[in-house]
Amino acid sequence: MKLNRFYKFLYIIILSFVFFTLKIFAVENIDERVKKLTLELRCMTCQNQSIYDSDAEFSNDIKKIVKNKLKAGESERDIKKFLVERYGEYILFRPLMNYNNIFLWGFPFILLIIGLFFVLIKSKGNKV
Amino acid sequence: MSSLVGFLSLVFAIGINFYLFLSRYIFKFQKQKFNLFIRFSSLLTLLSFFSLMYAYVVSDFSNYNVFQNSHSNKPLIYKISGTWGNHEGSMLLWLCILSIFSFFFSFTKNIEDNFQKLTLIIQAFLHILFGLFIVFTSNPFLVNSILVNEGLGLNPILQDPGLAVHPPILYAGYVGYSIVFSIAIAGLFQNTDDEWIYVAKKWSLISWTFLTGGIALGSYWAYYELGWGGWWFWDPVENISLMPWIAGLALVHSLMMVRGEQAIKKWIVFLSILCFSLSVFGTFLVRSGILTSVHSFAADASRGIFILLIFFIVTGFGFLVFLLKEPKKSNALNLLFINKVSALVINNILMIIATLTILLGTIYPIIIEVLYNKRISVGGPYFNSTVIPIMIPGFLLMSIAPILSWQTNKINNSKKYVLAFIILSVLVILQSYFLDFNTWGFVGLLLGFWIILASIIAIFSSYKIKINIKFFKIINPHVAHIGVGIAIIGITCSSVFQNELDFNLNEGDKFNVNGKTVLFEKIETTNEINFQSLRGKFLFDIEKNQSKKIEAGKNYYPVSKMITSEAGILHKWNKDIYFILGDQKNNEWFVKVLINPFVSFIWLGVIIMMYSGLIAISRR
Repeated sequence: MKLNRFYKFLYIIILSFVFFTLKIFAVENIDERVKKLTLELRCMTCQNQSIYDSDAEFSNDIKKIVKNKLKAGESERDIKKFLVERYGEYILFRPLMNYNNIFLWGFPFILLIIGLFFVLIKSKGNKV
Repeated sequence: MSSLVGFLSLVFAIGINFYLFLSRYIFKFQKQKFNLFIRFSSLLTLLSFFSLMYAYVVSDFSNYNVFQNSHSNKPLIYKISGTWGNHEGSMLLWLCILSIFSFFFSFTKNIEDNFQKLTLIIQAFLHILFGLFIVFTSNPFLVNSILVNEGLGLNPILQDPGLAVHPPILYAGYVGYSIVFSIAIAGLFQNTDDEWIYVAKKWSLISWTFLTGGIALGSYWAYYELGWGGWWFWDPVENISLMPWIAGLALVHSLMMVRGEQAIKKWIVFLSILCFSLSVFGTFLVRSGILTSVHSFAADASRGIFILLIFFIVTGFGFLVFLLKEPKKSNALNLLFINKVSALVINNILMIIATLTILLGTIYPIIIEVLYNKRISVGGPYFNSTVIPIMIPGFLLMSIAPILSWQTNKINNSKKYVLAFIILSVLVILQSYFLDFNTWGFVGLLLGFWIILASIIAIFSSYKIKINIKFFKIINPHVAHIGVGIAIIGITCSSVFQNELDFNLNEGDKFNVNGKTVLFEKIETTNEINFQSLRGKFLFDIEKNQSKKIEAGKNYYPVSKMITSEAGILHKWNKDIYFILGDQKNNEWFVKVLINPFVSFIWLGVIIMMYSGLIAISRR
């Protein structure tokens, strides 16, 4: 048992160390940032495609706009806001965390808590 | 003529089912005779389906449905598969598969006669519901009021061998849950012994295996036909198929608990009703035209309302019986900190949460549109950041769950697992250190490899290795989980480590893909029977003698004036090289090359899962 605990400890140390170093050295270049953002945007002229995946004219325009804005130093949030003002929330595949969508985002976590309580209550009388 | 035969046999089949349904209350007859009637009505439904198919094959444009969806110059295979390439025909296929399931169920042995009869009566009831739906709102046998020599043609995206296999297999999965539903309801009514659980298990495994195959075929089809290099989009239609799949998986796992004498009958019945309800609900969403996709052929409000009605009848009836005839209190669950029962309960809870989250995400845009008259999208990023984290503990549990004991808290050989996990995570860390680091990639690879490794350790340390059928049946749960692990690796690699290269090329240009030289030979246009094709011809790895030919391009279908993209894919065991030919600008062709690592692992994983589904059917 002692050995086990030692392994676990060692493992956690190594893992956290590596994670931090990786996080520090991971610098995203502009194309990766464009990809990340455009994957979360809907191509308004296609059927269920993201702007990144699509080669439609609309998508190519948006890709250019996003790239220029990122180069100009705008944050992802600003760009999304700009696009929503222009095309509506429909363009975002990741729904905004606002009042309307509170249920959408909260629901899975509410269920998770209920599930956890269920297991705890059911297993209460069964301690061995 | 064939339309008339089809219509009459359909109506006759519904009539017989109506008679059988009444037989519970008015005219009682024996089991033998009852089964004969069931089989006869199945044959009539089949006959109806085949007469529609015949009308398609001979291009009988006096049938309005054929006129709308077919064209005489299509190749034969698309005439046959075109039968279900439209709303009416696909609903007839649905009914047809429903009656095939009844047909085979009528041959089941080892179950009580009355129980079998009751199950089939519920099947007959479902047959009547869907049969009336077809006759009144989606009749494929309507007569064309004008005389024509040519049809309007089939949607070009559907003109693909995928159409021949994907819908029937997927439907076999959806509709298979009707039998599970009927068995569960009949079980509630009769409330006799637990024998029905074994019957339900077999049929739910059959449906689940078909559903797995159907979904995988659908995503493979999307992968090579839609031409954007992905195979899953969290598209509403995909979500709809995923919901009964996950619920069905939870059902299959719950049915395992029967063996530990921990029958949680109530939960099993609930899941059985849920699976079929989700299937019908999915049909409603797709067929009502609320969702726009390649699957919703034509929007018609009356159909949507009718299916919604059927959905409420089926679900309402199911859950009402469930509430009124609640099974007797079963044994208390033997939940320990970590034993098999608690693992299965946690797995069930996680799967249900995932199913409900997908359900909410899929219908949320509709709710918002109704309430606020505003359009929003709930897409991949939402599901990736909710459903996947919810499933991760389940995946972790899955690696060791099959060897946990029913009664105690102990894990045999726990040191081996701890050691293996540590070595594995160091390896994965090294991998992500030297290649691109990505959190999802890290988690996915670690999980996938861990599931495979733990299952292999479990097989070797818990059982004596023998090569015979019995052994394969014993290790089957581990094999299924290895399949999931392989699929997780494929999914992670192909989505996280996908690489994209863009080129602007002239004919005759050479370019570099992944260290290999590729020659863009030429552009070729040809006229096929029912379309014109434009193909860019590529030679991959020209330095070698056996260079591979790749063709990517577009098809133009004059009948429906549509262009489809045809990706050129070079399959290797460790990566797919995916060519997309874009438009021509300034005399240069835009060519996009995607390198999708380990895509083949996804299909391999799915095949392993289906294999172990089949093995599990034969195991009791």
